[in-house]
Amino acid sequence: MAFLIRRLAFYFVAVFVAITFNFILPRLMPGDPVDALFAAAAGRMPIETLEAYREMLGFVDGPVWVQYLQYLKSVVTFDLGPAIMMFPVPVTEVLGNTLPWTIFLAGFATLFSIGAGCFIGLYASFNRGGLVDRFVPFIWQFIASMPQAVTALFAFFVFALTLKWFPLGFGANPDLDPGWNLTYIGSVLHHAILPMVTLVVSMLATWIFTMRNAMVNVLGEDYITMARAKGLSSNRIMIHYAARNAILPVVTAVSMALGFAVAGQVFIETVYNYPGVGQLIIKSVSARDYPLMQACFLLIVLCVLAANFLADVLYVFLDPRLRK
Amino acid sequence: MQTVRNLLRNIVRFFNGNPAGIIGATIVALILVACLAAPVLTDKQPNKRVARGHQPPSAELILGSTRAGKDVYTQILYGGRVSLMVAFSAAAVTTAIALTAGVSSGYFGGRTDEIMMAVTNVMLVFPQLPLLIILAAFLGQVGPVVIALILGLTSWPWGARVMRSQTLALRNKEFVTAAEVMGETKLRIIFVEIIPNLISLVAGMFVGTSLYAIGAQAGLEFLGLGDPTVVSWGTMLYWAQSSAAFYVGAWWDFVAPGTVIALMGGGLALLNISIDQVSNPKLRTGRYLATWKRLKAEIEAKRRQA
Repeated sequence: MAFLIRRLAFYFVAVFVAITFNFILPRLMPGDPVDALFAAAAGRMPIETLEAYREMLGFVDGPVWVQYLQYLKSVVTFDLGPAIMMFPVPVTEVLGNTLPWTIFLAGFATLFSIGAGCFIGLYASFNRGGLVDRFVPFIWQFIASMPQAVTALFAFFVFALTLKWFPLGFGANPDLDPGWNLTYIGSVLHHAILPMVTLVVSMLATWIFTMRNAMVNVLGEDYITMARAKGLSSNRIMIHYAARNAILPVVTAVSMALGFAVAGQVFIETVYNYPGVGQLIIKSVSARDYPLMQACFLLIVLCVLAANFLADVLYVFLDPRLRK
Repeated sequence: MQTVRNLLRNIVRFFNGNPAGIIGATIVALILVACLAAPVLTDKQPNKRVARGHQPPSAELILGSTRAGKDVYTQILYGGRVSLMVAFSAAAVTTAIALTAGVSSGYFGGRTDEIMMAVTNVMLVFPQLPLLIILAAFLGQVGPVVIALILGLTSWPWGARVMRSQTLALRNKEFVTAAEVMGETKLRIIFVEIIPNLISLVAGMFVGTSLYAIGAQAGLEFLGLGDPTVVSWGTMLYWAQSSAAFYVGAWWDFVAPGTVIALMGGGLALLNISIDQVSNPKLRTGRYLATWKRLKAEIEAKRRQA
């Protein structure tokens, strides 16, 4: 419990740092960001909204700490104002529409990669020096080291554009009405296959290596020798003694991987024109919509922190030493 | 002379029985040399119009031409200079920061350690790419030097953690205690006793960060956050994308830079794995392990017969 509370306090600090970062950045920009916003809105924004923005971003009269408190207040109360890109839809609503797509894509791809990667890594470490151990991790690493933008572009060109197996964009067929019926869900799945496979391809190698290397390190421990000396069966040693302990570094790696998945999302969603947060952040960058951009960043940070906390809880569940 | 021979012997030992390392190093070296020798390998200029737009590969234009009629092959060679320069300088900055932060917080411990690790851990949970995108967006379209700086200044936390834990392990070794008892200064202990033992980690980190920086730079520029007038592998992808090379069938326009980025990444990754296996021999696999397994099986079979 003490461990979880410490972690929570740490994440709390991290959120603060992210908010502060967001607060400082517009202040480092040359010129007044609110004027830049007004220019970006191209006359679609009434002057009162501009004043509201000034208040929301903390550009109020007074010393810096008053401005900072004002900004904190608008973040904590989710009062993020309308998005300039899609004026007058509120930022929170724009974000709410994109978040499920990203979580769906990143969540399933990460879970699948962890499962499959650990399985291959286990197999390789069970058969040290075998064909899988000697070639699969290396070949996979070679493929996975392609930047995600490149992998996505190649897959898009071959499978969507040339072979026409998959659609050219969107999260689902835009002609269909969203709903919980088979046609719509089928369309969502069909649109998700290519982005998901790309994501898995670039993440799988990490898990193969993490699992294999963790297993190899554990197999050298004394308690494994002891278990052998007791004459336990090879399978029992591998699964109950080795894999049980090797899984811990793997869980630690989850936190790294989630940041990676979210980052990869940006390229993959851009290339496949997928309606998630990653694409939104790029759209808001090119529209110079700073409030939306910052909200996207904050949301991504929050998601990563939440996922990190889940990994911590899992860690407590898996490692009895932390449960005291 | 002696040191040169030692160095050569070490290099030979590193590559012996290490096919991943050989392949990786060959790919990286070939691309590096080709980019450095760009003026010899091509007589064209990367920013000069040499043909009509989107000409397919031919004897004259080995990799075809871009939408603006520039030679893709020449752009790859000259653009590689920029991309590799960014990758290696970002990696150098990152490695230097990680080494300084990791070793000092590991060796001095106490308050220094606590503060440094708090900063490192907070930096570590931030997803890096969104952070880079926000920074680049606020700075406007950034040139290669700024990209290298941003990448270098944001990628060090993981390395610092690794260096720190390794320094902690080394600090309690007998040879460090001996040096302390002999009255060596802290600075000398760090530079003479500890850092030489971190060399394989430093090398691994440099290669790993170069790999990351190649991808991150290409990604940022592909998204249009870089300076599009500079020729690099990333901006080549950006121009291919924005001139709709996909849809008009000009596949060479993005397949060429994509492939060279992928090859460079793959080469660096293989090199990185082999450095890992040298610093932790338990992770090794390959010919020797297979031979050992076969011999063991034979011995056991004989024992069973007897």
